[in-house]
Amino acid sequence: MAGPVASLVLGLPDAAGGSPQPQPQSRGRGLLRTLEITIPGALLLVLLFFCFIWPLVYPVPSPTYGSVLNANLPIWSPGHIFGTTNVGYDNMARILYGGRTTFEVAAGVQGIGLVVGGLLGVIAGYAGRIVESVLMRVLDILIAFPALVLILVIADSLGQSEMHVIWALCAFSIPATARVARAGTLRLRDQPFVVAARLSGVKAWRIISGHIVPNLMPQLLTFSLLGTGIVIIIESGLDFLGYGIPDPAPSWGGMIAYGQTVMSVSLSPLIVPSLFLFGTVVCLNLLGDGLRGRWGVR
Amino acid sequence: MAGPLGQLGRRPGGTSVASSGARDAAGPGQQPGVPLLEVSDLRVRFRSRGETVHAVQGISYTVEPGRTLAIIGESGSGKTVSAYAVLGLLPRTAQVSGSIRFKGVEIVGLGERELREHRGRNVAMVFQNPERSLNPTMKVGNQITEAVRRHLPLGREQARERAIELLQTVRIPAAERRFHEYPHQLSGGMRQRVIIAIALACEPALLIADEATTALDVTTQAQIMDLLLDLQAQLGTALVMISHDLALAASYAEDIMVMYAGRVVEQACAEDLFASVRMPYTRALLDAVPRVDLEPHVLLPVVGGLPPDLSKVAPGCSFAPRCPEAQPDCQAAMPPLEEHETGHWWACWHPCTKEAPGELGE
Amino acid sequence: MSASIPLGQPEAIAEHTGTEPGGRPGGAYLRRLARSPMLRVVGRRLLIAIPVLWGVTLLTFIVENALPGDAAEALLGANATPAEIKVLSIKLHLNEPLLVRYWHWFWAALHGNLGYSLYSGQPVASIVAQRLPVTIDLIIYALVLSLVISVPLGLLCARRPGGVVDRAIMALCMAGLSIAPIVLALLLLQVFSGYLHNLLPALASGTGNNLRDLTMPALSLALPLAAFYIRFLRADLIEQMSEDYAVTALAKGLSRWRVLTRHALRNSFIGLLTVIGYNLATLIGVTVIAESIFGLAGLGNELLQAIQHRDVPLLEGIVLVFAGFVVLVNLVTDLLYGVLDPRIRHGRARS
Repeated sequence: MAGPVASLVLGLPDAAGGSPQPQPQSRGRGLLRTLEITIPGALLLVLLFFCFIWPLVYPVPSPTYGSVLNANLPIWSPGHIFGTTNVGYDNMARILYGGRTTFEVAAGVQGIGLVVGGLLGVIAGYAGRIVESVLMRVLDILIAFPALVLILVIADSLGQSEMHVIWALCAFSIPATARVARAGTLRLRDQPFVVAARLSGVKAWRIISGHIVPNLMPQLLTFSLLGTGIVIIIESGLDFLGYGIPDPAPSWGGMIAYGQTVMSVSLSPLIVPSLFLFGTVVCLNLLGDGLRGRWGVR
Repeated sequence: MAGPLGQLGRRPGGTSVASSGARDAAGPGQQPGVPLLEVSDLRVRFRSRGETVHAVQGISYTVEPGRTLAIIGESGSGKTVSAYAVLGLLPRTAQVSGSIRFKGVEIVGLGERELREHRGRNVAMVFQNPERSLNPTMKVGNQITEAVRRHLPLGREQARERAIELLQTVRIPAAERRFHEYPHQLSGGMRQRVIIAIALACEPALLIADEATTALDVTTQAQIMDLLLDLQAQLGTALVMISHDLALAASYAEDIMVMYAGRVVEQACAEDLFASVRMPYTRALLDAVPRVDLEPHVLLPVVGGLPPDLSKVAPGCSFAPRCPEAQPDCQAAMPPLEEHETGHWWACWHPCTKEAPGELGE
Repeated sequence: MSASIPLGQPEAIAEHTGTEPGGRPGGAYLRRLARSPMLRVVGRRLLIAIPVLWGVTLLTFIVENALPGDAAEALLGANATPAEIKVLSIKLHLNEPLLVRYWHWFWAALHGNLGYSLYSGQPVASIVAQRLPVTIDLIIYALVLSLVISVPLGLLCARRPGGVVDRAIMALCMAGLSIAPIVLALLLLQVFSGYLHNLLPALASGTGNNLRDLTMPALSLALPLAAFYIRFLRADLIEQMSEDYAVTALAKGLSRWRVLTRHALRNSFIGLLTVIGYNLATLIGVTVIAESIFGLAGLGNELLQAIQHRDVPLLEGIVLVFAGFVVLVNLVTDLLYGVLDPRIRHGRARS
């Protein structure tokens, strides 16, 4: 942290003299900050809308039904904006439904990670000693394991399905969240207000739910948000390798794998899902970063 | 060793040649000859998010070669900011106006390159926090040689010798061994000595000690102050000591300047100041110092309230809200800093008039 | 000038001699003192590593064998009759209970025998030995590249935070972090082999022994890594520059750049190395993808094959190697941290 001496050199006025402002610029900065959050957030909402709600109101063709007569239509074809696959499936629909899976998986994985991992981490951090050691060793095993390898093994042996992908990816998100939760709990545990509560005999679960969890939430939430991008990336890798969503069902990673096979002929089957993947993760990361700055989480 | 107010002025056994001569002259700003440092109407403003913080609002003082000036004030008084301005260490967000002349050369407005030459060579600083002011991953000796070789054309071996010499000068025993050690292997007092060694590496004419002993225990504090004075005597360095401790200043400084809310409120040589304290703020500072002859378990008179917000400049005297002597006209207009008595300047409409009743027992 | 030490004042004496409480500073003794905290760390890490490795192998075994999908089936293909499958199963001991099989494997592994691949019949150890160098080369190459990219860029960002260069680099980093390795690899493939045709070969040669061949895969790994490291380095450097020792350095008359590179970087580098070490597990995962896309004959590709063929011994062998690698790297990182940070090197710091 900047000491009082160093703060001066950096341009933070004396503590008593005025509020220390890290940015020397004017109000434009605040606007930029807000934009950093609202634009990605809005884009994500639009995408979510199109993936989940739009097909309910507009007759979007099925992503797994098509006529071979329509195969391999290029991009911008009438009726098939993103073209079709080699068996005539509409790519636009595949993008939308693939997006659905992506978001469902991400939400599932991060949700479970947040709840289970968070709980484990808080318990480990709060209980200390034996419980903590045991929990941490178990989690260490999961972490030592190269995540992708573990996920591959799990996904493969469980078979291909969306739920199994979610379970497999939890092997990554639960230990990661647990680590963060544990570190935060350790830090909070020694805070004066928690010590005071402990000393006055407040029950442990009450302290946890009333003091520790609320203070931990911003940190955990931003961590989850930032981790969502990684989860989506890993999931696409799984689909790409063929271990994730089973074949006719659309997934962005799967579409990219197909795009690779026709790369020498046409680039759009590769570029379109790649752009969507990239765009989604960028928005998530920007949103996560922006929120982290806004909420002042480290 | 000088106790808090037991002995005014320099501690016994160490007076610098330059200072004893300059003692007899009139107060600050009126010395004959070329002053080492001449600050005139220095103002420093920080702009951020549309607000302007007036950290320093027009201060002037002079430092003669070899003399010691103490700048006293609490946090937010602007004392540290003004020192940084002398060193040219303020960032570009700070607007500095006024004049700072070092040996006649204007510092304000100098380019970064010239300022880099100036820092460390002409003026050096000793900082407050010995724990954090040294690079933990760099050997102590190398941190000194870095300072040496920055300004002096010495080779590695010569720089090393000089560094060891400096370590010995600041009274660190086993200097050769200490050279190769890391900061965490030294105690707080020793680290402060190392910082002093770094500051003196190129024998600057002016040394600024910003709360240099605040983080140390009383014994070490005295040792460091004594060291500084001895070094002054040896090298003829002028010293500006920044502190909130008036008692410390009493023991070690020749001239004293009291700052409050970015301005100078009282300025005199030490004798005159303690003989008749004028500014109620200075008086309050004095009264807050614990003394031997006070009744035990008596509440120390503390100055209530907080220093003002420097982003809003009020019309009247900045100290008025907290001043025990405040009158209506104090809030109306800012009292100017004037030399009401020879060599003794103050800025107050209603200064303390009574002579301090022999509390500075000579 | 002699030091004047007031008599009878312990703090002053301690300050004068500067020794640690209770010890006379003899050279050998100090060295021993200095090493022991580190040894303790090493020892503890090793002790923990063993159950971790064991846990990893057990977990893999359980997961792999928990559900249907038989190695024998996979080996014989879809057209095999149940009778043939049964014969092969018995031959491969696949009908024995799970834990028994695990025990067989574990016992053999303890003696250095990693068994034979169910698919190819070759000894697992030799397959691993053959494929490992490529993967190791790839990982090291990627790490070196990522450092070469990230350190200078991180310095540039920290030099003037909020400036044009900083913003531009940060934007690039955001892109680098958001791009999936599959997309990046394919993009590189397309750009370099398609447009800049002969700069880098499209497909690595089978062995990937050539440095040139490894460049593209290494780059596809290094770029996201570099993006991550740049962000870390930038944040840490900026924090270091706001520390008091940075002000001391500036007051010596050094330029900001010098203080950045000679003081702040030292302190940040330690943190960076530890981040690299702890990130390595993820790197292995991405290596698998890179090897698949670029067709490298490395351990990652072998792993994918093993999973497909349900080749449990081979799978276990590879998993063991990967996990062991991760543990080793974590250990080395801990050691490095202890060596590089003088405060830890010398044991507990004096207050």
